[in-house]
Amino acid sequence: MLDNLNKKSLKYVGKATRRIDAVEKITGQALYAGDLEFAGMLHGKILRSPHARAKIKKIDVSKARCLEGVHAVLTGHDLDYRVGLYLVDKYILARDTVRHFGEAVAAVAAETPAIARKAIELIEVEYEVQTPFLDPKNVFDKKAPLVHPELGSYDYVQAVFTPIPGTNIANHTKLRKGDVEKGFKDSDLIIEREYTNPNVQHVPMETHIAIGKWDIGDRITIHTSAQSPFTVRNLFAHAFKIPHSNIRVFIPYVGGGFGGKAGIHLEPLCCCLSKAAGGRPVKIQATREEEFSLLPCRSGLVYQIKTGVKKNGKIVAQKMTMFWDAGAYADYAVNVTRASGFSASGPYEIENAWVDAYTVYTNKPFGTAYRGFGHVEFSWGMERHMNYIAQKLNIDPLKFRLINALKPGSKTMTGEEVVENTGNVSKCMQAVAESINYGRLTAEEKAREKKTGRKIGKSVVALQKAPAMPPFTGTVMILKLNEDGSVTASHSLTDYGMGTYTSLAQIIAEVLRWPIERIRIPIETDTDRDPYDWQTVASKGLLLSGNAAILAARDLLDKCYDVAAQALRAQKCDLDHDAEAVFVRHHAAHRVTYQQMAVGYAYPNGNAICGPIVGVGRYIAQGLTNLNKENGQGNPALDWTYGAHGLTVEVDEKTGEYKIIKVASAYDVGCVINEASVRGQAIGGMIQGLGTAMCEGYLYNGKGQLLNPSFTDNKIPTSLDIPEEIDCIAIETPQIDGPFGARGVGEHSMIAVCGALGNAIEEAVGANLTHMPIRQEDVWKALQKKGRKASEKVISAVVTEEKTRRGRKPGKKAIEAPVVKAKRGRKPGTKKAEKPAEIKVEKPKRG
Amino acid sequence: MKISLKVNGKKYTREVETNKNLLHFIREDLGLTGTKEGCGAGECGACTIIMNGKTVNSCLILAVEANGCEIETIEGEAKNGKLSKLQKAFHENHAVQCGFCTPGMILSARALLEKNAKPTVEQIKEAIEGNFCRCTGYQQIIEAVQDASGQLKKKEGLKRA
Amino acid sequence: MLQEFSYLAPTTLKDLYALLKKNAGTAVILAGGTDLLVEMHNNWISPKLLVDIKKIPQLNDMSFDRKNGLSIGATTVCIDLINNSDVKKYYPLLADAAGRIGSHQLRNRATIGGNLCTASPCADMGCSLLALGAEVELASADGIRVIPLKDYFTGPKKTQIKKHEVLQKIIVPFESANAKFGMRKLKRIKGHDIALISVAMARTEKFLRVGVGSCAPTPVVTAPLPANAKPEKVKEAVMKVVSPIDDVRASRDYRLFMTGEFVDSIYAEIFNGGSK
Repeated sequence: MLDNLNKKSLKYVGKATRRIDAVEKITGQALYAGDLEFAGMLHGKILRSPHARAKIKKIDVSKARCLEGVHAVLTGHDLDYRVGLYLVDKYILARDTVRHFGEAVAAVAAETPAIARKAIELIEVEYEVQTPFLDPKNVFDKKAPLVHPELGSYDYVQAVFTPIPGTNIANHTKLRKGDVEKGFKDSDLIIEREYTNPNVQHVPMETHIAIGKWDIGDRITIHTSAQSPFTVRNLFAHAFKIPHSNIRVFIPYVGGGFGGKAGIHLEPLCCCLSKAAGGRPVKIQATREEEFSLLPCRSGLVYQIKTGVKKNGKIVAQKMTMFWDAGAYADYAVNVTRASGFSASGPYEIENAWVDAYTVYTNKPFGTAYRGFGHVEFSWGMERHMNYIAQKLNIDPLKFRLINALKPGSKTMTGEEVVENTGNVSKCMQAVAESINYGRLTAEEKAREKKTGRKIGKSVVALQKAPAMPPFTGTVMILKLNEDGSVTASHSLTDYGMGTYTSLAQIIAEVLRWPIERIRIPIETDTDRDPYDWQTVASKGLLLSGNAAILAARDLLDKCYDVAAQALRAQKCDLDHDAEAVFVRHHAAHRVTYQQMAVGYAYPNGNAICGPIVGVGRYIAQGLTNLNKENGQGNPALDWTYGAHGLTVEVDEKTGEYKIIKVASAYDVGCVINEASVRGQAIGGMIQGLGTAMCEGYLYNGKGQLLNPSFTDNKIPTSLDIPEEIDCIAIETPQIDGPFGARGVGEHSMIAVCGALGNAIEEAVGANLTHMPIRQEDVWKALQKKGRKASEKVISAVVTEEKTRRGRKPGKKAIEAPVVKAKRGRKPGTKKAEKPAEIKVEKPKRG
Repeated sequence: MKISLKVNGKKYTREVETNKNLLHFIREDLGLTGTKEGCGAGECGACTIIMNGKTVNSCLILAVEANGCEIETIEGEAKNGKLSKLQKAFHENHAVQCGFCTPGMILSARALLEKNAKPTVEQIKEAIEGNFCRCTGYQQIIEAVQDASGQLKKKEGLKRA
Repeated sequence: MLQEFSYLAPTTLKDLYALLKKNAGTAVILAGGTDLLVEMHNNWISPKLLVDIKKIPQLNDMSFDRKNGLSIGATTVCIDLINNSDVKKYYPLLADAAGRIGSHQLRNRATIGGNLCTASPCADMGCSLLALGAEVELASADGIRVIPLKDYFTGPKKTQIKKHEVLQKIIVPFESANAKFGMRKLKRIKGHDIALISVAMARTEKFLRVGVGSCAPTPVVTAPLPANAKPEKVKEAVMKVVSPIDDVRASRDYRLFMTGEFVDSIYAEIFNGGSK
């Protein structure tokens, strides 16, 4: 909602405003789910599977039941309910079959956590361990064990997803744009490579915590550390076939989510335990170890990219195959597959594009939404690949990106036209390039190299993301006028750290032209009291709720004008308002204050009119469509936020040790509502992205058992791990349907920074990396291989060439045909009948 | 077992189970829930308190070990209903997002400033490395500590192009 | 909540010895708790009786003289070791090593004795104390015995301590005082982490010794080498005592490589740059 604004006249939007929820947090007064206590509250504990795949032959809970202080013991057989966001595939407790290490097998509610813990230890389970399915790339192996043999019988959202029964494919997303085969034929060079990344844990500082109470008469009350109260309610209602109005979900302060608290997790189990315990409230607080395996993580990804380019650097065709390692349950992973499928090229125009994105069930902890929703993972591959192609073309990687960047007139992969107001990714790249002095070393950097003996490398990468959400995503904001002329907002977007509430307060204050101190946005949300919001995910909150806030504020004013018009016997068109009152424009002393009208305007004799005032704003995404299931074409994007990172790193050529000297990030946010919040999101996400890039990730043994389910061996960045220098830049190409022109930037900072690190390290010392995280040891290993790289290129090129000749194994003679070289020598115009050169390097094996 | 200790200047005497850690004692028995549990294993620092003048992870101390000790928690940071200088700096510099690490972070920062009134950026980073923060990327926290020690010359801003 | 256990905090050594004698096998000694409580939190151990030794004044004592060298009471916490003036002056390697343990919160709580009793292969104090030729004093109702630290570790998390004994103090000989030194610790992040390997070198006028952590089932140390040993000889001696494995933290190959790198760089530092 961008009106013709004079930005200089804005009082709150774009100005420094302190967070509205900071005081309670810096004093320790903010109450999170774990701080809540209720009369009669019991404590739940969960027994988890030590195996990745097993039949449950027998569970004996008799000893646990007999323990004094235990009020409920449940196993899978007590709970014939399945839960699922898009594909209903998960029992609340494993029934007969265990599908991943850490899966919940039984649960207990007892008077103290200690008793519950003891009861769990008394449960005896007999497993028949089975061979797990662990490698998503083996998805087409007909002999592979099936994670869900019953896949064909599950309910799912048919308009959007395509599970393939009889396989481990939970969803196959297809995108077909242009003619990819013709595009490859027209290419001068075809470059193919595979990129991988593992499961990663969100690590909110507050683990998942829920308190459930299931009263007799099926009234349910849930207090939970979750991102989306209405989604918890909706999924709960569907799973248990209970009316929505019977379920109340209350969300207090939340200690971080990052997507991990987006769906429904511990809530059903808490409530079932409560029901079994006669309606006493049951609290389950996940331990950090449970956070790693019982609760979901981010899916791993194997990403194969084959790109056809012209010598002039223009990408002509790209075929992208994604194997998403979804783990044992579909959860958000099917939608991650869809959303990353249609965005898989990054912010680059691909005339002829082909995507096959598979959500593959494996016997691992399951993947869910995680900040970036697939984009962090595929951008690692895409941005490494962009540099790889540039290298082969002998073009500067930034120049190569700028040649291919989406710009007004470009078509996205789903066929949507980019316009001036979509945003400007080239400007983002140029801004960060300038910030890091891309393309050269400064005198200071040269001196540093000399002093440390380490090599400095730089890179620029680009990113894009649109909210992944249903086309009909909507929200409501209600503003209630208080007796003193302040307003209290009621809505259901949650603020689990991002600062959106402060931005909303600024927007409301701006529209009302009232002091921001008179705008109150309570942190807690409550489905019984607050109106609907789909979810707090996808970086859509500021745009949708911001628009709803503008509409609500306008509605509130409109109603105030109605009252004033009557009270002052004036036409509405003659009225104006200030912070205190509505008045007649040409007789400013004729005024009615907000205090006078808040609960109904009363005349001196006691007669009253109009009643208490509320303003309502409803907003729904405009003009979006489902994607065509066969070709992925359509209009899925509420808005595209573009961005770029520039990264400078120094690397020890001998040991592989590296240090990030600087990261500059730029985002086209449309309009900055709150500078400090944008910067907070920019830096926080960038560091979280660097965690993914540097050190995080799940490690399994051959049996599918997680080897690092704690902070001891799953490190996250500390204050000592951040870059020496951080620069944040906002580009402001207004979003026409954004509040004051703004668009979201919650997830974007995390995207592509991994590729930036990989590219900068390669630039510094030539370490060729295709797997993240990039540990110091990985750089060292890649450097060990560096010497052999030249010969590898040629042989690999021939291997692919051989393959195209029907799989004949490369003989010694084949090595004599260095395809790359031959191709380069050819004159333009004669290439039509030629088969383009292909370069394919196998991913180095990794332990 | 009976223990007596001082928390935020107030004396408490309580009967406590030997297997209860100090974190749970402070939260459950004393009702001071500002101190948070992030891992229970001494890695994340969310449960940081100051005990006899030193920052410690309260999850790795038994309540019974604190008998006779003086403890400060986040609830003792604001005095007489007024935010401390450090708290004000956290507020001013947007050093808070989800807020879960904030109590521990503030206590670590305070322990630093008590020893070193003018810490360098490197010293600040070093002082808070035992406190994980997943939201902020630490930068605005570091700036808040600089500000609290009167060293933030100009506010680091967002560049707008 | 942890598992249930009894808790006793004796205030004299005599009481402690008696307690340990009476409860040999069931009693577990609690010092800083930064390892023990983690193990209990993870349910790896469930001791029936915890004996808190922090109330015994003698165990929290540090002293130095030119005859006996440095004596470190078992419950001395890292931060006190780091700030001790004798340590700073005569054994700065120890302050350096203790400063590399965990975070502030851990260093304010973790004890030197506890670090040696956990006896993890990656114990941060292990390699530095080994390089300085330290000894440990083990005591019980039956008497006191002093053994060289190099013989004390017997396997991962295994030591020579008998069930009724307590590690009472650590003695660092005077001959190691003023040693030139260097230490390196390989980590996965720049913040607090377990050592993937750690190397400490100490050189006096008479000898040179290298201690290495996380590169064998226990922290290990070279035999004393001549003070002016050539770098190849030092590296050779180190390679003789290490036997790293592949695990989730690092590969054997990388551990070996980095051990060599660290030895080279510390050697260069000590011989060219003198003491740090």
